[in-house]
Parts: sequence; C-alpha cells; structure tokens
Amino acid sequence: MRPVDPRLLRYAAAARSFFLIGGGVALLQTAATVAFAYLVTQLIVRAIAGEQLPALAGPLAALGGVVVLRFVLAWASEASALRGAAVVKSQLRTRVLDAITRLGPGWLAARNSTAVGVTTGPGLDALDTYFARYLPQLVLTAVAMPIVVVVIWWQDWISGLTVALTLPLIPVFMILIGWATQSVQQKQWEKLTRLSTAFLDVVGGLSTLTVYGRQHRQAGRIRQVTEEYRGETMRVLRISFLSGFALELAASLSVALVAVSIGVRLIDGSLGLGVGLFVLLLAPEAFLPIRNVGAQFHAAADGIAAAEEVFAIIGAGAGAGAGASAGADVGLGGGVASAGVSDAQGARGGRSGRGGLRIADLTVRYGDTVALDGFSAEVPAGAVTALSGPSGSGKTSLVNALLGFVPHDGRILLGDGDGDGDGGGRAVTDGAGRAWLAWAGQQPKLISGPVAGNVTLGDTAPDAVLARAALDLVGGSDISLETVVDPSGGGLSGGQAQRVSNARAVYRARRLDCPVIVFDEPTSALDAVAEERFTAGLHELADEGRAVLVVSHRRAVIDAADREITLEPAHSGLHVDVDVDVVVDGAVT
Amino acid sequence: MNRREVVRLAQPRLRRFLPGVLLGLVSALCAVGLLATAAWLITRAAEQPPILYLSAAMVGVRAFALGRAAFRYLERLTGHDAAFATLPELRVGVYERLVPVAPDGLGGSRRGDLLSRLVADVDEQQNVPLRVVQPLVVSGLTALAVVVVVSVLLPAAGLILGIGLVLAAVLGTALNSRVSGRAERELAGLRGAYQAELADYLGSLDVLVAYGADAEARGRLAEAHHALTRASVRRSLGSALTTALVTLISGGVTLGILAVGIPQLQPGGAGGGAGGFDGPVLALVALVPMAVFEVFAMVPLAWGAWRQVAASADRIAAVVPDVVPAEIPVDGPGAVRPAPARGEAVRLRVRDLSARWPGASGDSPALAPVSFDLGPGDRVLVRGASGAGKTTLAHALVRFLEHGGRYELNGADVREYPADAVRSVVGLCEQRPYLFDDDIRQNLLFAKDTADDAELEAVLDRVGLGEWMRERGGLSARVGERGSLVSGGQAQRIALARALLAGFPVLVLDEPTANVDPDRADALLADLLSAAAGEDRAVLLISHTPVPDELVTSTVTLVAAH
Repeated sequence: MRPVDPRLLRYAAAARSFFLIGGGVALLQTAATVAFAYLVTQLIVRAIAGEQLPALAGPLAALGGVVVLRFVLAWASEASALRGAAVVKSQLRTRVLDAITRLGPGWLAARNSTAVGVTTGPGLDALDTYFARYLPQLVLTAVAMPIVVVVIWWQDWISGLTVALTLPLIPVFMILIGWATQSVQQKQWEKLTRLSTAFLDVVGGLSTLTVYGRQHRQAGRIRQVTEEYRGETMRVLRISFLSGFALELAASLSVALVAVSIGVRLIDGSLGLGVGLFVLLLAPEAFLPIRNVGAQFHAAADGIAAAEEVFAIIGAGAGAGAGASAGADVGLGGGVASAGVSDAQGARGGRSGRGGLRIADLTVRYGDTVALDGFSAEVPAGAVTALSGPSGSGKTSLVNALLGFVPHDGRILLGDGDGDGDGGGRAVTDGAGRAWLAWAGQQPKLISGPVAGNVTLGDTAPDAVLARAALDLVGGSDISLETVVDPSGGGLSGGQAQRVSNARAVYRARRLDCPVIVFDEPTSALDAVAEERFTAGLHELADEGRAVLVVSHRRAVIDAADREITLEPAHSGLHVDVDVDVVVDGAVT
Repeated sequence: MNRREVVRLAQPRLRRFLPGVLLGLVSALCAVGLLATAAWLITRAAEQPPILYLSAAMVGVRAFALGRAAFRYLERLTGHDAAFATLPELRVGVYERLVPVAPDGLGGSRRGDLLSRLVADVDEQQNVPLRVVQPLVVSGLTALAVVVVVSVLLPAAGLILGIGLVLAAVLGTALNSRVSGRAERELAGLRGAYQAELADYLGSLDVLVAYGADAEARGRLAEAHHALTRASVRRSLGSALTTALVTLISGGVTLGILAVGIPQLQPGGAGGGAGGFDGPVLALVALVPMAVFEVFAMVPLAWGAWRQVAASADRIAAVVPDVVPAEIPVDGPGAVRPAPARGEAVRLRVRDLSARWPGASGDSPALAPVSFDLGPGDRVLVRGASGAGKTTLAHALVRFLEHGGRYELNGADVREYPADAVRSVVGLCEQRPYLFDDDIRQNLLFAKDTADDAELEAVLDRVGLGEWMRERGGLSARVGERGSLVSGGQAQRIALARALLAGFPVLVLDEPTANVDPDRADALLADLLSAAAGEDRAVLLISHTPVPDELVTSTVTLVAAH
C-alpha cells in the first residue's frame, strides 16, 4: 500500500478539502503541543528558581488556555476526520452506483450481484479507518514531525540530531518487517485460508452433514483444525508484531538517549534546565503521530484492499461512460451505432411505423466467447414468433442485445422493409431509448410494494384499469393489485410472480404502444393450464398489431406460436458465415 | 445460550491469561517509568550533583525504554496465544449446541448468511480477552500503581490524578456508550434499510433500466443513504467529544498538580536533600500524568471493543436457543428401534401430516394436513404453490421438524426410531445442496466413506456428471468455496450422487430446479428422476416445475394452510 492512494483523491473530490482542513487543524494542534510543553517547563523551572505561585499566575493562566485550546482542537480534528470520512464514503458510493448504472445490467449479469452489493455496501465501510484514523494521523505526521524536530534542533541541536536520525529508521524497519510478514504469509497462504474457512464449512454444511448422520463427528475435527490454525497464525504474528516492536523501540530509545545526553550536559553546565526539560517533553511528540500511523496502517491497508473492487468498478464505468445519456448505454457495437440516425419519434412506434422487427447479422461476444454469431431473423408484426434452441445457443444474449444491455455488432431494425440488407426500417439505437420495446425477463424480479406498482413500473401516471387488464391477459385474474410483495417474491407464489412480471410487459406495451414485446421463458414456473391461458394472451397482443417474440423451450408454447426460430449454439472464437437461423413457418393454430 | 455463557467460553483460564496481563503491566509501568525517571534525572542533573549520583537513573531510563518495547511485544504474543487457545473450546462449544437443533431450530431468520455471520461472531469473541479484559486490567492496575506512588510523594497531587482518572474513565465508558450506544442501535436499522434498498436496486437493475424506473430507484437509495450518513456523523460527533474531553481532563490534571505542587516546593540545595518535596520530584509528579493518560487511552478503546463483542455474543445467543423449540424433534426415551437393515424394504405411511417452522410467523409456510404412502418403486410428485409448505414437508420427513398427524416407518410410529436412524433410510437432496470447499472426491466420500474411486466415478456417470468430472481433471478437482465453481444444476447432480452412494431406500428431492436456468430445468428433472428411480427405492419429488406424467407414479397437491 502506498501511504496515500492517489485514486482516493481522484475519485473522492471531498477527500481534498478534507485534507486541507485536516492540515490546518494539525498545524494548530502542533502549535498547542509546543506551547503546552514550553509553559509546563517554564512553570517548573521558575518554581525551582524560587518564584512563588502569585508570580506564576500568568503562565498558569496561559497553560489553562492552552489546555482548553487543545480540547477544542482535538474535538475539531476528530469531528472533521469523521465527518470527512462519511462524506468521502458517500461520494464513493454515489460514484460506484453511477458506474454500475452506466455499465448496465449486461455488465452486472456477468457478476454476482450480491457480491457487488457487499462491495459497495459494507465493503466501503472498511475505508472508515483509513479516512477517520489513518489519513488524519498521516497529515498530522507530515505537519507536526518537521515542526517539532526543528524546534528541538533550535533549542538543542544534539537532541535534534538524535531524533532526526532515529525517525527515518521507523519506516525502514516497518517496510522490512512488512516484507518479511508478507513472505511468511504467502508461504502459508493456502494453508491459512483453508484452515480459516474450515469451521465455516462445517457450520455452513451442518444440515447436509445431518442428512448423512455425520454431524456428531465434527467436533474433533473442528478442535484439530483450530489448533492447527492457531499454530500457523502465531507463526505469522511472531514476525508481524516485530513492526510494532521496532516502532516502540525506536521511539522510546531515542527519548532515553535524549534524556541521558541532556542529563550529562546539565551536570557539566553546558545546558540550562529550561532547554533540557522542554526538549524532553517535545521528543515523544515527534514520534507520537508516526506511531499512530503505524498502529492504523494494517487496518487502513485492509480498507484499501476492500475498496480495490470499488475502484475497479468506477474505473470500468469511466471507460464505458462515453455517452451515458440514455441509461445503460453499452451498445458499443459499431454496426448499430452507424446504421442510421437515431429517430426517437419513429422508434417510439405508433401505428404508422408498424412492420415488425428485423435482426440482421447480429453478433454478441463476451470476451473471446461468441454467444451469438451473425444471427439474422425477422419478427413480423401481428404474429407470435417463438425462439427456441438449446441452452447456451444465445437466446438470452439476443434478448440482451435487443435491450441494449450488451455490446453487439449487426443491425436491429424496426418497421417495414423488404428484401434483406439495408431495405426499409429504422435502425433502433440505444439513443432512441427503449420505448419501442416491452420485455419480461426470465426471473420475475419484483420491486417491494403492491402488485399494482410492479405492473405499472416506470409509469408516472399509473392506469389501474390497464393494469387489471394486463394481469387478466396473462392469466393472472386471481392476483389482486393490492397484494404487497417483497423483493424475494414473498407474498406471491412463484407462478404468480411470473405472471405479474409478464403483465408488467403487457402493461408497458399497451401504455407506450410498443411495437415489439419480448418474453423470455415466461412460463417456466407455470403449470400446463396457466401456460395455455398465457399463450392465448400472446395472440391477443399480436392481434393488436405488435411483433410478439417469445423465448421458450416449452413444446406447448412453441406449438402455439405462429412461427418458430431455432438457434444453434455459436462456435466460439470462429466467425463462420453460415445461416444459423432457420426460419420455419410453423403453421400451427 | 446467553451473553454471559458465550463470553465465559471465550475468556481464557487465569493460568493462561495471567502471563499476558503481567507482561502488559510491566510494559505500561516501563512507559510511565521512562518519563518519570527522565524528568527526575534532568531536573536533578540541573542541580549539578556528582554524576555518580545519577548513574542509576541513567541506566534506568535506558532500561525502561528497552523494557517498554520488549515487554509489549511479548505481551501481544502471549495474549494472542492465550486468546487463540480458547478458540477450539469456543468453536466446539457453540457447534455442539447447534447440533441438536440444526438446521431448523436455529433462532433468528432463516437466511443463508445466518451461519456465516455466526462463524464470524464466534471468532470475534477472541477479542474478549485480547481487546477488552487485558487492556482494562492493565490500564487499571497501572493507573492505580501510579496514583499510589504520586500520593506518597504529594498527597494532593495523587488526589487530583485519581479524580481525573476516574472522571476520564466515566466519560470514556459510560457517557460514551450512552451517546454512541443509542446512535448505534439507530444506525443498525438504517444500515439494514440501506443494504436492503441496495440489494433490491442491484438485483433488479435490468428491470429498472428496461422500464425506465432506475432514476426513481436511485432517488430512494440516495434518501436511505443520506439518513444513514447523517446518523453515523451524529454518532461520531458524540464519540469525538468524549475523546476530546479526556484530553481536557489530562491537561487539567497537569495544571492542577502544578498549582498545588509549586507552593509545597522546598528548596533542594546543591547537596540534594533526600525525602523532601524538591524540584526533581515536582517535575516527576507534574509530568507522570501525561504518560498515565497515554496508557489510559486503552480504556475507551476497550469499551468500544466490548460493545462490539457483546453485540456478537448476543447474536450468537439468539441463534442458539436455550430450550429446543417444540417444533424440533428430540429423541424421546422410547426412540430405541434400530433402523431397518440394509436391503430391507422401507415403507412410509403418512396420514394427515402437518408441520410448521419454529417461531412461525406469516412468512414461514405451514404444512396443511397431507396423506400419502411411499414404498419401493414409487415416484411421487408433490406440487403446490410457494407457501403451501413443500419444503416443510421434506424437513418433517427427514425429522428436521416435528409433525402432527401420523408418520409411520415400516408400520411403527417414526418417533420410536432415533432421528439419526430415520435419516439413515430417508434421505434428502436439499434445495441448495451444500458443497464443501474441497475436491469432488471429498464431497462424495462423506456419504459413503468406504467407496473407492471406481464407485465414485460410476455414480457420477449415473447422474450425468462423468464427462464434466473428467474435463475438470478427475475426482481431485476442487468445487470452490461453497461450490462457487459449480452451477446450480451440477450441484443438484452432485447432491443426488451423494444420496445414491448413501443408498437411501427413500429419497426426497426438494425443488431440484429452483436454482437452474429454465431451459435446463425440464431436462435436469428428467435426468434426476431416471437416475434416482429403482425397483427398491422410493422417490418423493417436490417441484414447482411441471413434470411429465410418465416420470411419476402419482401426484400429491399441497394446499396452503392459511
């Protein structure tokens, strides 16, 4: 870890002003410390010289003032540090959420959203020590140490030299011992990790162990693993505690050297008591801030390590943030962006522009993996088109490309067009928003609150009648709009939650008059009866003049569609220019 | 369990604990001694006595400096070793209290992170000796020793120092915990609220963006965060004030001692009259408080650590119930029937079986009475909406939960068998099978520790994982922490492989497709059922995914109890 992580300054603008305030307070604190030492010395020296209390009232009153000043400064420094830490943390949280939103759902889908939640939530709390304790002490060190050393030098250059020579030893020793600790830790890294997670593994798997009647045998294993863990950890601690030892030794030994040297020179009369006592009181103050830095160093480094992930997300977000106007703009695909001028009005649909959706030469890549390879298809208005294919053939990638959640090459065209290639139709760009598209995903993902709020999500003026009709259309007549759901779907059965999610897409399609509606595995949690009711609803949507695309592996859904598109798995890494889209006009229903 | 029990488990025995405390005390006294001796030495040296008079003090200063660092190092090592030494007992103690009630009798929420938090809380208890008891004892004894010494030198100064230390202790502990403690309770709620909003936002980001509702959700999130930040700043200001007040008291004590000490000063003279309150002693009593207050700074830290440790202990206590809840089966004196022998047919007869979770509230599904028979060759599908108690039924069948109604195993009431005996013939593949952070072999072997590699490979082939296992590099490939390298479907297949190895005559599959992509779910169900099916095995499949009729022999539909 570097003493100050430059990324923190870059990403948290508040950190800068917080640095300045901290520096100002530190300066005043150092002055108060020097004044305190000076006044205490003066009082003792003058009392020994025979002055009585009334004559010393001045310095005593001044000392009282300094004591009160130190109290105020100590409070100000703590308060500003803690407040600064809170401000910086919320700034970082805002920035990381901005970055995630900019990177979009496609980016998030490739990660564990719970882990990202921990990173941005409690993970950032680990920075508290860094900002509230470590950084202020670092600032204080930078301000106080030189001032105190200069004052000591000015009073007595021999003591000044002693302190100045000892101080640099501290960071040198700490770095050396840090390396040693690291190498010991690395040597046993795997063993330590295994030992530290072993107890968690036993407790976490307790129910599985109980199923197999193995729960009673674990106590001995826990004891043995923990003993082993203790031995290994102590071996590391023996080295890592050396850094604290070096720190304390350097600080106290240099104070001792200063004291003895002053003592000897006082005896031969080459130094006055006033100077000697003053220097003695100041010497520990030169070491105090750096000792505190050392004490907070590991906690601060842990905080930075915990924030590493956050920096990575913000960095990635900054890279993707070229045009962040319309929410998750990750459509880096050159093909789409250059295919046509964005036409929000046209893309919004309206009966005039009806003509269905055309997908031309669409390719989606995740790194080296080609998820969808030059896919072309037509999803005509007024019909239900089923999209099927084995797991991994790119069905969800296609949907994500339509949503603009993943970068892609190729064209997505809306409206009439004849012939293939660049016929008619408007290119759908991310810039036009997603007003042309209504979508229901694989997971219901309901928002906490009543069903009504879920069905009318994103609508600032919800229409209850339309919401009821949407629910009825997808076979959700038995679901009340007033039922309250929690995020995990509590309050509804799995099948009900899926129907609410389907109704949400229907509501949007009708409310915004979207020309295209897409369902991704909409019946996975529905039984045969509910599935049939749902497919009947699909045709109603098609009859309204919409292009209906339903991704499903269910025979019943595919058979009920007007047309079927089958996707074959893409050959990863190879761009084979073969017609992978087999458009079959299924003449069912 | 209660807090006291947990903390007592964590606190090492005196014999182990004492060396650390003594070393810490010596180190703290060295720190005070360093400043005291140095102050005395310098002031006395100014009187220009023969250097011989001061050689002891000069040696003392150096010795104290070395001692302070060396004893502190030893204290930390000894203290950590003692704290670690209690960890095995603590862990085993908590674990053994978990076993009789696990998994369904553990208090608190049934969320998955409960157990990992429990483990973190147990390990946090190491801080009881390390960061609470040891610093409090060391700083208390040091303060006491110094107050006694200062009182002997100048009684009034000792009084001032004593009052100052008591005042600082009260401010640093009681007042601080009143101010911060209240704010912390408020904070915990706000933190939870923000975390829930955040999880909601991230979990539904695709929906929010696709429906243009992300900005509004960000607004809610910002509000929750603002409330959290405000409360945490308020808490911080409270604790900052108490820290600063301790500084004020420390300075005040120095001032007070100087004020009472200076009039008492008796001119020492060049000869250095021993025993009188002379200059060097004034310097000593005036400066020593600074070193004492530095040692004393451990007290508020220890108090803060105590609040954390106590909260952890309370959480552990809340998870481990004092009394086994009525809903959790306990083997009665009549539970003596041996488990059916291997190869013997096992039949279950279930009549009006009902069950519920301990401390059941609205969100915990209760099982309404259900009846069915299960015998060799049967494949029964249990359907029902979520909330109808499907998992409750599975847990009642393997005696994780107590039940109402009749549940017979080979004609005898199931309570006549020990719960472990029932589980030796009625197996369960859980909704979220737990995979241990080990290789594939160990994840199978604990189901049947006599199995050789050929048998393990055969069973993996049977559940459709043979190819996958060979691609991964064989049985020694690791599954990752909590099975992170394994997909939901593969985890289910591994769980089935374990169950097949154990050879349960009755096997309950609880929602095997709950964490599987929909386009794989149907195929997985078919694979699992055909692998598990057998003439001498009964299978009870719980599923919300529809199952083709030809795969099952009968269907039971559960109706929600409320």
